[in-house]
Amino acid sequence: MSSETGFDPALYARFPTQEPRPPEEEEELRRIWCKPKGWEYLTVVNNNYVGIYYLGTAFLFFLLAGVLALLMRVQLAAPLMEIVPQATYNQLFTMHGTVMMFLFAVPVVEAAGVLLLPQMLAARDLPFPRLSAYAFWAYAVGGLCFFASLFVGLAPDGGWFMYPPLTSKAYSPGINTDFWLLGIGFIEISAIAGAIEIIVGVLRTRAPGMTLDKMPIFAWAMLVFAVMIVIAFPSVILATLLLEIERALGWPFFDAARGGDPLLWQHLFWFFGHPEVYIIFLPAAGMMSMIVATVARTELVGYRLIVLAMLATGFISFGVWAHHMFTTGMPPMTTGFFSAASMAVSVPAGIQVFSWIATLAVGKPRFNAPGLFVMGSIVVFVTGGLTGVMVAMVPFDWQMHDSYFIVAHLHYVLIGGMVFPLFAAFYHWIPMVSRRALSERLAKWVFGLMFVGMNVAFMPMHLAGLMGMPRRVYTYLLEHGWDLPNLVSTIGAFLLALGILLFLIDLARNFRLAPGEGNAGNVHGAGTLEWLPNALYAARSIPVVNSREPLWDDPQMSDDVAKGRYFLPRSATGLRETIVTSPLRAEPQYLQIMPGPSPWPLAAAVFTAGFFLGLTVQAYPFAIASGVLAVVGVLRWLWETDRRVGMEGVDIGADIRVPTYVTGPKSHGWWAMVILLVVMGMIFAMALFSLAFLWSNQPGHWAPPAPLAAAWTVLLLYAAALALAVAARALLRRGAGWAVAALLLSVLAAGAALWLDHGQWRATGLIPQASGQAASVFALQALQGCALVIGALMAAYCAARAVRGLVSQPANNTIDVTMLFLAYAAGQGLVGALFTRVIGIG
Amino acid sequence: MRSWAILLAGLIVWAVHFFLLYGIGEFAGEGKGPRLAVLAITALALAVVAMLARLLLRAPGGDGFERWRGRLALAGLLLGGLAVLWQGLPALLAR
Repeated sequence: MSSETGFDPALYARFPTQEPRPPEEEEELRRIWCKPKGWEYLTVVNNNYVGIYYLGTAFLFFLLAGVLALLMRVQLAAPLMEIVPQATYNQLFTMHGTVMMFLFAVPVVEAAGVLLLPQMLAARDLPFPRLSAYAFWAYAVGGLCFFASLFVGLAPDGGWFMYPPLTSKAYSPGINTDFWLLGIGFIEISAIAGAIEIIVGVLRTRAPGMTLDKMPIFAWAMLVFAVMIVIAFPSVILATLLLEIERALGWPFFDAARGGDPLLWQHLFWFFGHPEVYIIFLPAAGMMSMIVATVARTELVGYRLIVLAMLATGFISFGVWAHHMFTTGMPPMTTGFFSAASMAVSVPAGIQVFSWIATLAVGKPRFNAPGLFVMGSIVVFVTGGLTGVMVAMVPFDWQMHDSYFIVAHLHYVLIGGMVFPLFAAFYHWIPMVSRRALSERLAKWVFGLMFVGMNVAFMPMHLAGLMGMPRRVYTYLLEHGWDLPNLVSTIGAFLLALGILLFLIDLARNFRLAPGEGNAGNVHGAGTLEWLPNALYAARSIPVVNSREPLWDDPQMSDDVAKGRYFLPRSATGLRETIVTSPLRAEPQYLQIMPGPSPWPLAAAVFTAGFFLGLTVQAYPFAIASGVLAVVGVLRWLWETDRRVGMEGVDIGADIRVPTYVTGPKSHGWWAMVILLVVMGMIFAMALFSLAFLWSNQPGHWAPPAPLAAAWTVLLLYAAALALAVAARALLRRGAGWAVAALLLSVLAAGAALWLDHGQWRATGLIPQASGQAASVFALQALQGCALVIGALMAAYCAARAVRGLVSQPANNTIDVTMLFLAYAAGQGLVGALFTRVIGIG
Repeated sequence: MRSWAILLAGLIVWAVHFFLLYGIGEFAGEGKGPRLAVLAITALALAVVAMLARLLLRAPGGDGFERWRGRLALAGLLLGGLAVLWQGLPALLAR
């Protein structure tokens, strides 16, 4: 067998070890990963708790958004109803879509990842537990504040995709729109933090021997999901920033009269918005693939093809964004490209569906609760997929655009593709975290009501759409003939809600949370590692994985793991720790020391929420104070991390030794920073695209850019900043002071470059309020300014650590990640300064 | 990186092809020249797919993981090639 890192795979043969382990080892693990008490429940960072908090909060938002849907259905049950006024109805449909997409669908699958992945990969926890806690609290606090806007009549009312000019200051003068722009922008930060955690977790903390071809399919799904978030979400972050700047400062990115373009919003939004559908679908499909194999009691058919389908979805879904814009008058060939991609993306979805059907066909499927939801999901999702192929055809889309046919289509796809699999997952995995499984008898009623209710609610909407009923109308006239399908839909919606109510009753009766102790166990007979005996430290020892369903192939494994016969049967350093493995073949590389509980992630999240809330309600001093405190919170939580322990190398079992501290591209911190830089790079790339788009579509408003010839000082300074940042790593061998000095000089050089760049553009006479071009150029510079402020904070933080003697030599992770960030920032400035001068030159 | 490049080869070709086509449509218009460019890029992308598939088929077997990676990559090239072909067709149809 080949090796990826030089590790000898023959060493795996030493496991399971035979000699008995001392009983005090397990006691020590329990002490280190102890249960919280009292207020410590707020400061926990262990995935067993954070995952449950996350899931519970996301499900709460599902219920809240569902109640909004019921209100809308009551309003539409008959013509000319007056249950809610028109303005409130606008808020209801906007909040229903927004909450379901941003506060339920993405967070709930991220939560499932936080809860399940460490167990499935047999890691002690995800690699950045405090980041998980921060992401959760930011989402929970921010989401609840956002939802509360509904109760004071300030909820957004421009539809979940917030198109300008409707959402521009002229047509939406209140702060309702700002709640959406700042609230959603903020919540996306939480989603990205979770995605970084998941990518590094899946690629670097798998059990030894779990090569990529043996990885659980859910982990593959979460990996693709997280990468898609990293690529897609920056686009909506940029879009929300630009629209907020336009509203607050009058910079006309989307105002056609001043050289902006409202279509730019649609491109930016849908570059995020359509992949978002697959971002939601893929983890659910991953759950389906895991559950189908267990339900059918056989291996998943076509594992390799499913992996390919997930990867292909991750790519092709980025080529379909403009199919939401077929009616905007795009040229025919371009329209054809998007139509073709929209049809092509159904191929990987089809592969997965056929694989599930084949698995059920070759196995001996059980019609238990997960089985029923799996089968119901296939039926509903395929129906939605077929109408999806219909609307991918441009002439049909022209007829159906913005009609109830689309409402029916998207609910079939999302409920079939995500909600039913999620309920299957609840029934499948609840025995892992609860002392009792849910009731099979009640589950049949839950499924029946949800399946029938869903179809009764949404099937008639196809007809209503074909009869011409547009989306988002708050009422209609009797003579339209839409009354019967609407009444039937309303009855269906209440049946669906009744099913969910029964599920809640079942939860109340049977769900008894037991993190790490006395769960109901592997009641479905699944074969993957999350069903190993578990405590708060996860599995007692970390097994060697030789197949995709190790518990099916090695019936002794659970017992051997519980007796500590595999890797890391004890705490090697007396601290929280997990094994970091290589990304392809999962060979042990080093022991990661993990941070424990801390109040600082919670504090940082609360103050981050305060910062965005303050900006939204225009309480600027409060916002600034909150922002400063949020930064203090983050730095304080980081302060205790990146410290060496006394031991250079430790025995992780069977005399296999690994280091306790590594730096550079091997370290998990380096990986996280590179992913963060990809996020920043995508925001920057989309900002460059925005400038190019306006140049292409608004040539009449284009002024000569700042002269290229005069830019050499700017470019030289950025190049110097880049060189200084890179040099810091080498200079650390000479002393921490040298490295810190190089980092601070890098910030100074980049700051001077930005100052010069800005001055050269001001000298052209362009002002950002005057044209889309100038607004975009100055927005790019503002983006660069933000990067430099963060870089300056990081360099100052390095200086503080150096003063306190916390910068290890000859290499140090804090210096490494700061170097990466500053080098990126300098590169970004250089490219931006060149691009803005070249585009539209002459 | 080599493993990821092999795994994702077909899909990377699709992505490069798609965004080049979008760039042409967005920034160069839809006249005869751009349409010919689309067809030329499509032909080139298909040639790259064929070349990569040939390389993969000739590569030595390796261990279980490498064989799995090779077969997945071949399937990816097939899917990517089909998607590229499909993606290029609007240039023939558009007027």
